[in-house]
Amino acid sequence: MNHNPQSGDGKHDDDTALSDFLASLMEYTPTIPDELVEHYLAKSGVQCPDVRLIRLVAVATQKFVAEVASDALQHCKARQASVIKDKRDKQQKDKRLILTMEDLSKSLREYGVNVKHQEYFADSPSTGIDPASRDE
Amino acid sequence: MNKPKSRRKSNTQQETTPPGDFSFNITKVAVSQICKSVGFRRSQVSALETLTLVATKYLEALGKSAVSFSNAASRSQSNLLDLTNAIHDLSLRAGFTGASTLYDSNCLLKSTVLEGLSCFVRSTDEIPFAKPIERAKEREREGVKASPGNLQRGAHVPEWLPGFPHMGSNEKSKKRVNGEELWENSSSVLGCQIDVLEDKRNGGNGCKLAKKRTRVKFRINGVGKRMHWNRYSANNEFTQTKDEDAEAENKNPVKSKEAQTLVFKRRKR
Repeated sequence: MNHNPQSGDGKHDDDTALSDFLASLMEYTPTIPDELVEHYLAKSGVQCPDVRLIRLVAVATQKFVAEVASDALQHCKARQASVIKDKRDKQQKDKRLILTMEDLSKSLREYGVNVKHQEYFADSPSTGIDPASRDE
Repeated sequence: MNKPKSRRKSNTQQETTPPGDFSFNITKVAVSQICKSVGFRRSQVSALETLTLVATKYLEALGKSAVSFSNAASRSQSNLLDLTNAIHDLSLRAGFTGASTLYDSNCLLKSTVLEGLSCFVRSTDEIPFAKPIERAKEREREGVKASPGNLQRGAHVPEWLPGFPHMGSNEKSKKRVNGEELWENSSSVLGCQIDVLEDKRNGGNGCKLAKKRTRVKFRINGVGKRMHWNRYSANNEFTQTKDEDAEAENKNPVKSKEAQTLVFKRRKR
C-alpha cells in the first residue's frame, strides 16, 4: 500500500477510529454466537485466530438479516395500510405483524436472492378437475 | 401435536439430529431474535427457515470470498483487509457510498461499509443469544518437564515416548542475515561427523577404546579347556565394563596362551 505523506494525518485518524471500532466490538455481543460464526467460517476455509474479526463477521451478518427483516416489515405494513377500514382493525393488525414468504421474497429480491414460493401443492396433476372430464 | 400417553414416558430420550441440522437450528434461534428486535411478532415457519438459510449462505459466502482474497495475496490467514473486501463484494448488489471509487484511494479501511457497521453497533442495543452458551474450559496442562527435547513436541507425539535428543546450539558457524546457513554446517550433520572422527582415531591404533565389550567365556566340546577370548572390535562403543576389568583382561590372554603352550610341550615329552 502506498503511503501518501500528505494524507498521513487523515490516515492516522482513520486508523484510530477503526481501532476504536474494533475495541468496541469486544464489548458488544452480537446475537449470533462466536462459536457458530467460527463454525461457518471454518466450513468455508477461513483461519482467523483474531476474535475481533469473527465478531466483525457476526455483526455484518446481523446487520444484513436486520435490513432484510426491516424491508419485509415495511412491505407488510404497506400491505396492511391499504386494507385498513376501522381504527379497531388497525390496532389489531399492528399486533399481527407476521413474517410471510411473500414479503420476504420481495425484500430478498433487492439483495439479489430470488425466492419463489409455491402457493399450494397438489397430490396429482388431475386434482381439482371436474370428475366428468377426467379420463379414467 | 398431542403424543399418546404411552409414548410420553420415552420423551426423555433425546433424538439425535443430523450434523447439518444442529448449527441450522441454532442459527434459526438467532435469526428469530433479530426478526423480533426489528418488529415482527410472529412468522411463518417456511419464511423463518428461508431467512435462516439465507443467513447461513451469507456467512459462508463471506468466508469464501475472504479466503480467496487472502490466498490471492499468498496468505493462509485472513485479515481485516480480506474481510473488508469480502463485505464489499457482497454489498455491491444493494450498493453503498463510495463503491465506484473503491480502489482509487489507497486506504481500504476508509470504506463506508465499515463506518456503517460501526454506526449499527452504536445504534442498536445488544441482543444476547437466547440460550446459555457453555464456553469450552481451557485444558489444564500437566507439568511437562522443561527440557530441550520436550519444548517443541507437537500433539502428534505421544507423551510416553522419551524426549527428543538435544541437538545442541550451533554457535561456531557464522549466521546470515535471514538465518540461512549451509546444510553441511547445520548441527544435525556436524553432530554425526564428530562421532565418525573419534571412531577412526581409535580404530587406527587398534587396541584401546573408550568403551569395551564385556568378557565372553565359552567351553569347547567336553575337552575341558577353557578358552578366554576377548574380542576387541572397533565397532563396539556400547560395552559397559569398568576400566579395572579391562586392564585385568589385557593381562589374561597373555598368560592363558603361555599356559596353553606349556601344556602342549609337556604332552609331547
